Amino acid sequence: MHSDLLIILVVATALAFDFTNGFHDTANVVATSISTRALSPRVAVTLAAILNFAGAFISLKVAATIATGIVDSGAVTMPIIFAGLIGASTWNLATWYFGLPSSSSHALIGGVVGAMIAANGTGAVQFGGLLGKVVIPAFLSPLLAFLVAGLGIVLTYRLVARLRPGPAGRGFRLGQIFSGGMLALAHGTNDAQKTMGVITLALVAHGDIAKDKFAVPHWVVISAASAIALGTYVGGWRIIRTMGTRIIKMDPAQGFTAQTAGAAVVLAASHVGFPLSTTHVMAGGVMGAGAGKRVSAVRWGVAGNMAIAWLLTLPAAAAVGATTYGATSLFGSGVLGPAIIATIAIVAIVVAMTRRARELAAQPAGAKS
Amino acid sequence: MIVATAIVDTHALLQLVYVSLIAGVGICVVYAVAVIGVTRSSERRRADRRAASALYAALATLAVAACGWAMVTGIAIMTKK
Repeated sequence: MHSDLLIILVVATALAFDFTNGFHDTANVVATSISTRALSPRVAVTLAAILNFAGAFISLKVAATIATGIVDSGAVTMPIIFAGLIGASTWNLATWYFGLPSSSSHALIGGVVGAMIAANGTGAVQFGGLLGKVVIPAFLSPLLAFLVAGLGIVLTYRLVARLRPGPAGRGFRLGQIFSGGMLALAHGTNDAQKTMGVITLALVAHGDIAKDKFAVPHWVVISAASAIALGTYVGGWRIIRTMGTRIIKMDPAQGFTAQTAGAAVVLAASHVGFPLSTTHVMAGGVMGAGAGKRVSAVRWGVAGNMAIAWLLTLPAAAAVGATTYGATSLFGSGVLGPAIIATIAIVAIVVAMTRRARELAAQPAGAKS
Repeated sequence: MIVATAIVDTHALLQLVYVSLIAGVGICVVYAVAVIGVTRSSERRRADRRAASALYAALATLAVAACGWAMVTGIAIMTKK
């Protein structure tokens, strides 16, 4: 009975995390299309939500990496998964509150690893898998997106240099419908699978799935796809409200190139099973497309902040995951500890969102973000 | 060096790099060719140069078809995995 209640709580927390992942990342997926006026905000958000949902069904390679390649799945328990999810959500909430760029994917992996170390020591973590499948690809992917977008925009500008800007711009705006669609599909593929992997780990711990036979149940795929798509759709309306003050200055060729580079890197990574951060890949793509036109156009200070956040996310989420595991284990191994922590987390989220909303309401219109 | 190679799946990492470069840069270049084809075809048609217009239209069609093929093939490869 306790075990059943706990699995319900863990799955609900994982889907809530998936929802916030979609909510956070809508900007990465739609901002470029909206800023170049390739798509209206309403159409861009709706298309992104639908393609996020569809993308979740394309592959399960990343889910397999999360479920089998980072921690010892035989040593995983439901309180560990719960603590990892709380660690990731807390770090996401803190970075959102202070306006720091952060990766939901790295937070999720950091949270689970931290809780695992607190419960079983370092021996239960596959550090080789963590380094080879998460840390190194995470470091490489924004640089790769920067390179692809930079090369792409330099060659594109050379090719279309003699065309009149009007017709060329219209052509690239049309192309952005497809490049933006591919990016949304890539986001759904890579990001929804992380939640699927975590829920699968919890089901292994609950005894629903054999630990030596990796399989993601259909209901997990459908629920993860629905949660990320719903998060994208809901997050999109917030983006629409703030687009007036946060428009990224890009021309349609740059927008097309940045999105194509982002989609190519994320889809290629999903194919080989690397869980990447869409936030970091898209930031690399946008900077590459900007630098290809004029190096000084790139806000290198923002890039520096992202690098610092990138370095901090894994250890910080791991620390919160470990602390949460310690706190839940004070109440034994049943459902009481996670239920108390979940209640505290919900209250903290409501307080933080209310405070942030009040702060934004008190700011002058031009300063809102 | 041997330890690093054992930890990192070099084959998968290299695959990520070359697939991203070929697909990303390739689609950008081929789509730029499609934009050139459509724009030039339209200009030649207005100038009543029908043969040149048809040639550019054919170039644009080929380039768009190549982009579409690349996108569909990419998704198909992933779903078969």
